Parts: sequence; structure tokens; C-alpha cells
Amino acid sequence: MIVDRISRFVSDPASSKFDELALEAFAFGFERIEPFRRLCEGRGATPESVTDWRQVPPVPTAAFKSLKLAAAPAREVFRSSGTTGGESAGDSQVDTRSVHHHPYPELYRLTIDATFPRFCLPLQASASMLSLIPTREQLPDSSLSFMIDHVLTRWGAPESLTAFGPRGVEIAKARSWAGSRQREHKPVVVLATAFALAQWLQGLERMDLRFRLPAGSAVFETGGFKGRTQELTREELLAKLGTWLGVAPGSVVREYGMTELTSQCYTRALEGGDPDLFVTPPWMRVRILDPETLEETPAGTPGLIAVFDLANLGSAVHVLTEDLGVAENAEGVEGEGFRLLGRAEGAELRGCSLVVEELLRRT
Amino acid sequence: MSVPFLTGFPIDPAAEETLRALPSSDLLAAWGETVEAFLDPRSPERLALDPALAASSRLSREGLAAALDAVLGGVRTGPAGALLAEADTLPQGGGPVLAVLASNLPALAVQPLWPALALRRPILLKSSAAEPVFAPAFLSALIRREPRLKGTVAAAAWPGGDEALEAPILAAVTAVLAYGDEPALASLRRRAPGKVIGYGPKTSLAVISGDLDRVDVEGLARDVALFDQRGCLSVAAVYVAGDSGKLAERLEEAMANLVGRWPPGPADSVALSGVQQVRLEAEMRGLWRSKPGSGGIGAGTILVEPIPEFRPSPGLRTVRIHPLADLNRLPEILAPWRGKLQGAALAGEGAWNLVPALAELGFSRHAAPGDLQSPDVTWHNGGHHPLRSLVQQTQCSSR
Repeated sequence: MIVDRISRFVSDPASSKFDELALEAFAFGFERIEPFRRLCEGRGATPESVTDWRQVPPVPTAAFKSLKLAAAPAREVFRSSGTTGGESAGDSQVDTRSVHHHPYPELYRLTIDATFPRFCLPLQASASMLSLIPTREQLPDSSLSFMIDHVLTRWGAPESLTAFGPRGVEIAKARSWAGSRQREHKPVVVLATAFALAQWLQGLERMDLRFRLPAGSAVFETGGFKGRTQELTREELLAKLGTWLGVAPGSVVREYGMTELTSQCYTRALEGGDPDLFVTPPWMRVRILDPETLEETPAGTPGLIAVFDLANLGSAVHVLTEDLGVAENAEGVEGEGFRLLGRAEGAELRGCSLVVEELLRRT
Repeated sequence: MSVPFLTGFPIDPAAEETLRALPSSDLLAAWGETVEAFLDPRSPERLALDPALAASSRLSREGLAAALDAVLGGVRTGPAGALLAEADTLPQGGGPVLAVLASNLPALAVQPLWPALALRRPILLKSSAAEPVFAPAFLSALIRREPRLKGTVAAAAWPGGDEALEAPILAAVTAVLAYGDEPALASLRRRAPGKVIGYGPKTSLAVISGDLDRVDVEGLARDVALFDQRGCLSVAAVYVAGDSGKLAERLEEAMANLVGRWPPGPADSVALSGVQQVRLEAEMRGLWRSKPGSGGIGAGTILVEPIPEFRPSPGLRTVRIHPLADLNRLPEILAPWRGKLQGAALAGEGAWNLVPALAELGFSRHAAPGDLQSPDVTWHNGGHHPLRSLVQQTQCSSR
């Protein structure tokens, strides 16, 4: 069974070859997911004709908003947050969130276990963690909450804590955790979206409370600044991390993931790598495509990020995102790395009142 | 103060008196001559301006010419004179105006400029940093024809949101005509309370009923393609009571013909990404989709979308055609977009019968296909009367 072989490959990359599994995963989806088959047949791509995974037509993330893409009955259903997928319609919000019908949550957990400790745990072992991300109880359909729930369960030490309430980051709770951990001299991990992190740091600044998290501590940062409430640049955020938590920029690991995917990419900050260069795990490939032709761009040329994620075979193994990036070889790592340049949300109202400067900043 | 692309700032403190003393006939004559010069592609003004303006507005040369015809055609002496005559019946003056322009569509500066001048109010035009060339060029040409305007009008461009830079300007003006997205408008309202007349993002559509063979599809194609579909009056969707496939095929042909006359300008990654998403999703759903044309992805995409809910277009001449047997359902379908809807191109009696309901949703313009994107200066953009909103706003804020 292809799911089992991919699961083995995630745990043991020597057990198989990516290219072979990719073609099998394509055939699996082609057979089971009708809209995907329609896309492929329209482009003459069938299991008989496709000889390279790059020939598999990518599924647009927009399809997750309008179609049920499921190769098997879903065991988890994830929905994107409204901030990046929704369209502003007057005072109301048209619900155009992505829905990921996920049949293989165990495979999802395997991908987390195969990457999170390596990239995010200073000692690659359990650590005390502070999560500023909503729990599964708070957001049962969030894939990020699913992931963090597993991380805390599997890799969090007993003192781990979630400090996120109905009104956002619980500053006092997080402050108390930081104070206790500061005295213990064991490396800890803070899990947060960039926005939540900014909220906490600004809270500490208002109270003029400086902490020094133990040496070797790390910050897991994901999601960027969702929505339009951006108040800090990334440089300012990193500076504040140093000032208020004593965490150096080199200890901040960035994660790239999304509701429509299963696997995650990370920067290799804790290994001394480029803090903004994401690398892919062995069961994943990232290509940068020309936005006009969808042909692969040469390294160094910006374009749209397309992800071939073997672990995503339950819905769409090849996904065209709305994110802009640029490919770059990652020194010391097999395969390519990429930099995230921004998001190309292309279906907002674009009338005479478009703020071009904002678009230029985002691209 | 150091502001790039600044022309004629600061505004002369006696500017309002200067404007009041300027005879309407002289003002209108200078305005009309300037507009005609900018409408003439062989005029010295246009020869000097076009290359930079095409680049900053990201339109083809032909697309730029068509865009300037559409915008400036609406402020020629006829409609401008009508507005001026109305202004002469209203309270004049009231303090300087700041117009904050947001997009890189060409020539939109004339829309706030003329009403302000007609009311004899000095005005500072703050261009988008992405399109800083039209406003100063137009003002320079206007002042050359009517030197008494020197010191009464100014143009500048800077990245919006610089609160320190903008604070003295916002304090000095008595009204702000602001084009921008919601956060930008909210920021200005916070910093200039009571002064802001906001023109937020809006979109437009077409409604077609009756004999489809008689529909002016060339006009409809124009309403989609002008400004490369980046205007608030650009048609993003078509609702049709009738054979949607037939209309789609006719529109496809008209759009393909138009590409030769109005080639698309360079497309940005954001729009390209959005169109790719729309196209691939349509393929997966098995929707009818126009064939790729010779003009590339920017030449346009037509889809027949059976789901009636309105969705914004990602641009690049992308239009969804929604079959809707009962057009009376349209107001309910569009209700979530109340306040974000600008114009409707209407064809057929059933479509025109919807005008009251569409107006109730906030539509500020209704026109036959082909005319939607060519309003004149008397148009109530966003429901705002070009003169009275300025007069009323100033009266309210000075209380």
C-alpha cells in the first residue's frame, strides 16, 4: 500500500526513492480523486504518460476552497483561517476558507516527528515549551493547532504550557512561565505565530519585563503576520526577542506550512544555517514556477511556490500555492532551498483604491 | 519638509483668495485646453509623458491611450463647465483640500482636482508612489495656461502612512479626499478626524437579459479590458438571464479582437497568481473556459460559473459569466458585497429594471455596455456628490 510505503520513507528515507513514490502517489490520486483526474486528463497527464513527478499538474490552493479533494474518507478536517483565504465583502466575510479533508493523520504526525525535533529542538529531545498558538479545543479545525498539539504531547516536557486564550496571548501566564524557566537553566522552546510573538513581546515591553531564557533556547515561528495588523517588521521582531527574552536571531527557526499541505519546511537556524532559507525534508520537493507559464524558473528568479508533498497524497500531492519565493541551493543540504518572498493574494478587490505600495511591499 | 516629486508645495496661504478672484470662464478655458492637450497623443505634453506614464501605470501604449481617453473624456469642457456652473451656486472656499490617490491608474488625479478648483479650494494631490508622474505634469501644464493658479495647486508623492511627514499636511487642510483600502482610510480618519471623504475599494459587474444576439459584446469587452481591469468600474462578472455559453463564446471572440487594439500591459505576480488559481480550479471543476489566446495570460480569461455567488476577479481581464434565470435574485446574491459595489453595465429590460435595487446596494453608476468605464466629472463616485460632499463635509467639520 502506497500510504505505508510513504510512511516508511518519512521515517527512513533510505527505504525507497522519492521519484518512484511520487509517480505511485500521483497514480493513487489520479484513480481516487475525480477533480484531480479531470485536471490531469485535460492536460494529457495520466499514469501511463507521466514519467517524471514534475509533469504532474499542480492543484491550486483555490481548489481546496471549492472542491472536496479526498482519496479516502477523512479522519481530520482542517480549515484555513479566514485571514488569508477570506474575501472582504462589505462588513461581512464571504467564507472562502480552504478545507483539507485529511485521511491520514498518523502520516501527518510522522512528518512532524521526522522534522520538528531535528530543526526545532536544541538538544533534539523533549523540552519545556511555551505555546502561543490556540489549542485543538480552541480551534479544532486548525492544522497548526493539530500540529502543535502533537508537538506538545510528543516532545513537550511536563512544564510545557499554552498561553493563548479567547482574547489572544495571555501575557501574564506566559510571563510567569518565562520567569520559572529562566531559573532552571535548561533550554526551552517558544512556539508562536509571528503575530502572537509580537503581541507577547510588546506586552513585556509595556511592563518593562526583561527575561533571559536559558542558553540554547529556541523560538519556533510560523505563519507570518496574518491579516493586516502588522505592527513590527521582522527585523524589529528579532530585535525585541533579543531585548525582552534574550533570544538571538540565530535561535529563531521559521516554519513553512499550510492547511492544504501535510509536511513542513524549516530553516536551519539551530544548525547554523541561513535563518531565512527553508529546506525541504526528503519526501518533499519545492519548485519555483514562472507565474505566467508555470514553467520552473532558474535558481535566483522569483516565482510561485509549488510543493510536491508525498505525505499529502490523501488530497493533492502537487500543490500550487499563492506564495512567492525564490529557489537557492542550501549549502550542506541535499536538494534545494527556497526563500519566502511574500503572498500573492490575487482575488481581492483591485479597484482604483488599490494601495499599490502595499502590494509592492508584499511582493 | 522633504518630499520627493513635489511640485508647487507649500500652497500659498492666499491661494483661496486667488482662486476666488479667478473668473470662471478663464478657469474653464485653461482647464479645457489642458485636458485637450492631454487627450492628444501628439501634443508635447503627451509625447513627454507617455513613456513614463505607461511604465508607471503598467499599461501598454495603446491601453494607456484608451485609459486617458476614458478618464479625460469625462472632464472636457462640457461636463466640467456643468460642474463649474453648479459650483457657482454653492458656498465657495472652505480651506485647502488634500487628495490621496492610491492606485497607479493614470489620470485619476483630475477627478478630485476639478471639483476642488470649481469650489475655489486649493488642493494638494498626493500621488501613489507607484505612479508619481501624471499629477505634476498635468498641474504644470495647467499653470502654464493659467499662471494665476500657481501656488493654489500642488502635487507630491511619498509612500503613504508616514505619520510624521503627513501630520502637518493633515493639520493644514480642511478636507481629505482619500482613495485607499480600508486600513489606509481608517488610518487617515484617525489622524484627520472629521475631514476624510473615503473612496474605498469597489468592483463592478454586468447584467444581461433579453436577446443575446443584440448585446453589444464589443462594449462589454471594453468594460472588462479597459485599465486592464484594474478600475473600480471594470467589469469583474456578468450575470445573464439566457444562454450563458452563447454569451461566453461571443465575449471570447470580442476579447480576442480587442487584444490586437489594446494589448495587455505587463502583469504583476499577484495578478498572474490569482489568474492561474482561477484557471486551474476551473479545469478541475470542468467549467467552460475560454481558449488561451495569442496575447498570453493577460489577454483575458472567461469562465462560465454556475454558482451564482459573486467573487472578485483577480484581474488581467478575467471575468466569470454566471447564468441566472431569475435576475430578481441578484440583489440577494450581491447583498454580502453591499458597499463594495460601484457600477453595473446593463443590457435588456430585465437588467435595467434592477436599477433601484442595485442603487440600494450602493451601485453608483449604471450604463449600457461600453459606456460603464467612461463616467464624466458629474458622476457620484461611491455615492459622493463631487461638490456637495466636499461642501457638506467642510461645513460639518468646522462646526
